[in-house]
Amino acid sequence: MTEEEKKEDDVRVGVFICHCGSNIGGLIDCKGLADYAGTLPGVTHSEDNLYTCSETGLTAIKTAIKENNLNRVVVASCTPRTHEPLFRECVSEAGLNPYLFNFVNIRDQCTWVHMKDAEGAYAKAADLVKMGVAKAEKLEPLDMIKLDINQVGLVIGGGVTGISAALNLSRQGFKTYLIEKEAQLGGRLNNLYKLFPHDIDASEIVNRLISNANNPKNLEVLTSTQIVNIHGFVGNYEVEITQNGNNKTLKVGTIIVAVGSSLLDPKGLFGYNGQNIITQYELEPKLKNNQIKAKDIVMIQCAGSRNDKRPYCSSVCCMTALKNALIIKEKNPDTHISILFRDLYTPGTEYEEYYRKAREKGIIFINYDVDRNPNVEENQVRVYNEYIGEDMLIPYDLLVLSTPLVANTDNKVLAQMLKVPTESNNFFLEAHVKLRPSDFATAGVFIGGSAKWPVDITESIAQGYSAASRASTILSHKTIEVDGATSNLPVYNKNLCSGCEICMKVCPFHAIVKNEDDEIEIIEALCKGCGVCGATCTNQAIVIKHFTDDQIMSEILAYGGK
Amino acid sequence: MEKSSKSALVIGGGIAGIQAALDLADMGIHVDMVEKKPSIGGRMAQLDKTFPTNDCSICILAPKLSECYRHPNITLHAYSEVQKVEGTAGNFTVEILKRARYVKESECINCGLCAEKCPMRVEDEFDRELRKRRAIYMYYLQGVPAIMTIDKEKCLWFTKNACRICEKACEKEAIDFDQQDQTITLNNVGSIVVATGYNLIEDFEKEALNIYGYGKFRNVVTALEFERMECASGPQGGHIKRFSDGVTPKKIAFLQCIGSRSDRYKKYCSSICCMYTTKEAMIAYEHDNSLESYVFYIDMRAGGKGFQSFLRRGASDYNIDYIKSKIAQIDIDKDENPIIVYEDYDDGKIKQLKVDLVVLATCIIPPEGIEDMAKLLGIELNDYNFIKTTPFIPVETSKNGIFTCGCVHEPMDIPRSVTEASGAAARAAEVIRGG
Amino acid sequence: MSFEPKLLGFLCNWCSYAGADLAGVSRIQYPPNMRVIRVMCSGRIDPKFIVQALELGIDGVYVMGCHIGDCHYLEGNYEAVKKYEMTREFLKLVGLDNRIRLDWVSASEGVRFGEVVSKFVNDIKELGPSPLSGDSPDKDLINKVRAIRLAAGSNRMRALVGRERKITEEDNVYGEKYPLEKYKEIMSQAIIEEYERHRILIALEDESKSVKSLASELSVDPSIILEHILTLKGRAQVDFQEIIKNTPIYMRRE
Repeated sequence: MTEEEKKEDDVRVGVFICHCGSNIGGLIDCKGLADYAGTLPGVTHSEDNLYTCSETGLTAIKTAIKENNLNRVVVASCTPRTHEPLFRECVSEAGLNPYLFNFVNIRDQCTWVHMKDAEGAYAKAADLVKMGVAKAEKLEPLDMIKLDINQVGLVIGGGVTGISAALNLSRQGFKTYLIEKEAQLGGRLNNLYKLFPHDIDASEIVNRLISNANNPKNLEVLTSTQIVNIHGFVGNYEVEITQNGNNKTLKVGTIIVAVGSSLLDPKGLFGYNGQNIITQYELEPKLKNNQIKAKDIVMIQCAGSRNDKRPYCSSVCCMTALKNALIIKEKNPDTHISILFRDLYTPGTEYEEYYRKAREKGIIFINYDVDRNPNVEENQVRVYNEYIGEDMLIPYDLLVLSTPLVANTDNKVLAQMLKVPTESNNFFLEAHVKLRPSDFATAGVFIGGSAKWPVDITESIAQGYSAASRASTILSHKTIEVDGATSNLPVYNKNLCSGCEICMKVCPFHAIVKNEDDEIEIIEALCKGCGVCGATCTNQAIVIKHFTDDQIMSEILAYGGK
Repeated sequence: MEKSSKSALVIGGGIAGIQAALDLADMGIHVDMVEKKPSIGGRMAQLDKTFPTNDCSICILAPKLSECYRHPNITLHAYSEVQKVEGTAGNFTVEILKRARYVKESECINCGLCAEKCPMRVEDEFDRELRKRRAIYMYYLQGVPAIMTIDKEKCLWFTKNACRICEKACEKEAIDFDQQDQTITLNNVGSIVVATGYNLIEDFEKEALNIYGYGKFRNVVTALEFERMECASGPQGGHIKRFSDGVTPKKIAFLQCIGSRSDRYKKYCSSICCMYTTKEAMIAYEHDNSLESYVFYIDMRAGGKGFQSFLRRGASDYNIDYIKSKIAQIDIDKDENPIIVYEDYDDGKIKQLKVDLVVLATCIIPPEGIEDMAKLLGIELNDYNFIKTTPFIPVETSKNGIFTCGCVHEPMDIPRSVTEASGAAARAAEVIRGG
Repeated sequence: MSFEPKLLGFLCNWCSYAGADLAGVSRIQYPPNMRVIRVMCSGRIDPKFIVQALELGIDGVYVMGCHIGDCHYLEGNYEAVKKYEMTREFLKLVGLDNRIRLDWVSASEGVRFGEVVSKFVNDIKELGPSPLSGDSPDKDLINKVRAIRLAAGSNRMRALVGRERKITEEDNVYGEKYPLEKYKEIMSQAIIEEYERHRILIALEDESKSVKSLASELSVDPSIILEHILTLKGRAQVDFQEIIKNTPIYMRRE
């Protein structure tokens, strides 16, 4: 903090009114407005510029700061949404803390929307300038918040998603740990035969991934390992693990969750018996070992999904059924295969092509409605065909159920350790479905693969890379800097805090925690500055920097004051 | 991580390109982003809302646009095209053609005075030609960079050697009719991400829409047109009106798989239409709670997160009737109300339905100029002219060091495009960092 | 001259402020009565800001944020609703509730921004000037609104509103959820109590008073006043001062 900024009673505000050519100046008297600004308390300099954002205008600001020893700057012009960064940079070049700048919007929200009411627009602009000056007087210099980053990555889960993520991070040059609870890497792939839509052996992919994972110099694979506990926050996590009874702590900067999903227990579904009524996953090893001799095969899609209990589409089952049906048809073209489906899910180019191929190979597709589920009888399936308006009887000697992937039952435990949410089906819930699909709202923790939602191998790999990319945006830096306008529990307010923890509850970013001394602590590096905690704090102890109660109140008073 | 001397090139400034660029830039890698249009934002900027949470598209996109524009590690080349690529993974040399806007970027403040005065009315591409813009224009209101552009093909000065009114109107003296196209050379480009998005079948094969009466019947529109009609900043100000009589439709039919899953046109599935159709019907219902919507579909494809419950909500709360069917033909009555003749798959009967408006979910096709782009980059395309990718690795093209994401290699929704964009960035970083 | 209302708007940075800017870029015209205070999130809007504005004689206050589900900070606008609703309940006590309004305006709704502001201006015009505007507003009403500002800022009210989602949406340790209706009941009760208590505190600012005189001054039943006095004593805000003619007199504590 420089000497000028310190003394509050010595506030010297400079106000710059922009004509923006005729955009503002064409409607209202900018010169008059600048003169008016000059009469406001605290203002020691005011001027009007043709374009304050032009080089001439910026130079005028810098000169005025120096000549008049200004310690606050207000520009009344277009909109802060486009021009605040420019003016902040400008005042900072003149030696002023950028947070001592305040923007007043008199174009986009004034002269442009009151073009037929010059008088009204001027009165509004004058009030806005008055309010802007009042806030400027109360502004305080802020520093960017720096956070040290431990440039080490951790990936939880050694399936295809996790391996892809870990390989990418290590190849980017980061020390990376890959944790797998089973004795070997590979996850679900270890139980599959071939993979759609390219019909490559799953084992081939697994082996390729594992041999890659065992090579890179930065990657440390820890199998038969479980997470015990997780402490810390972005850049500085301490992860307690246990491997064959030995505990140790890994210090990492980011965590990628790639724990995959589980299989639905098929008991009670469509007469499941594990013998001639099995799931697609049980069919895979039988195909591999060439054990399928059945002549009449029926597959039932959405077995246990898209119902009230599990309202989601598992998205991989249609392709799995098609693939397995095609494998069987290839070996025994005489086999009759019928697939009973509701909506066939083969989006995009290759999957739709695969569907066409299946039809061409003579696989029969029969549509059924959720209200009339197929009825499995001994040796035949009774299914109501709406198209012909009556029941069809389809004989089978093998019935295969396409059951959905379900969320792991222990997701909740991990979620609690990481302070991240899960959704109604118990899958992990990302920060934003569309624009932050691989992030959690909690900084430094990322998500990929079927732990988030059922996805196939191709998408799992893409999601693994995606999570790695997001982690890399943090791991690439020794320190990261975040905006200084955060929430804050100042030392002088500590005694006000009652420890009610409501602030912790309303913070969407888990930036507020209770520390070892059982005191509320705001991790400013995690704060995004929304200010909800400040408006909520029961004893008004939390201060929202750059939008303090005092600053906002001063704007209200400047406007409403008589 | 030390700052890399190698940079990345991202081609395409839609949501996929933006995400890839931001990730790379946030890793500390310099990115040059090339966008053909005058502003970045791509298709997502044209959307009113986005499924499955129906948040306002521009609200969530705009912060990303300005982040991209302001990022110290991103150089944005809008209104530009890649014209030459040489070299191999880790060391490409790229030539960019930066087209003249005839407006000085450093001076233009996007005040719009020039456009107000411009006498030329031109079909507005961004609004799917549902309204007119001027020959000097902003690509769209919230566009970034916020700089006007003169449409040389339509400008009276360039076509008839007359006018220059904009020059007089501009108080910043930002108009520069002598501006020239520039060639910019980028050396030491480590990797390239191609994210040039998609076009729609009506852009190049309008005949695919003929049997649905598009172009002949005024009350048959495409889904993207309907999206603009719904948008508060679109040509109808968010008040949906049909073109024959300006009346708000009370009964809308949404027809799926227009040109897609077709033997005659495109065999593949466009992936996103089932979902966006439901979204469009929902928004229309929010505008007018007496609306009835009918969705004519083959298979409802909704595998993404929260998609099934989205459809359920559509049926239960938004008066949407889903009809598994095949469209036979479309006609109109004397009031230009479309009449749909279809075969109902539920009972196999041929039926008719009269509606006020028909919305066509048209097929996604590879973007204009993809063949030239592929040649330029030395990458392969697949049978449908989308970028060919490595089996199981959707972000990898046939050439080392060149990655892809989004609809340019397969039709997909925003969540997947963004995921792939980050994935492509991760792989691009690997190459740049020598991994 | 016709009445031109003096209005204040609180706009969130990401949606409504952007929508207001878009109105500008699109040259949507609307009356210039409203001044805008920009905040990052509608969830930042503290009830005391709204009440303070009214107390100063501002004719109407508009709160705007992102549509539900669109919040840049995930759920800030949910919090905004809760705080706004509480403020409204308080203002009902003095008939000023129709001078505040909450709306969601997105970054693409430039036209709508103009429309809703115009409508607000017209509605407030119809309502006429705020009883607190002008040079000499009713002192009693000012004190009432002041009491609301202080009550809304009290620890009890802030805790109640801050906990609403936890109370009504999550199970407590016993696996029980509080029904929203029940919560609302508690809330209304608390609003009246805290309003009256803060009125007492204000009434005791200038001079110490008896329960009886407080009761007639505030038009509240003496037994209720007495209960409040006891609570306020417990909170160390009021103290017993002396007995005059068999009547205890209470004073305000610093």
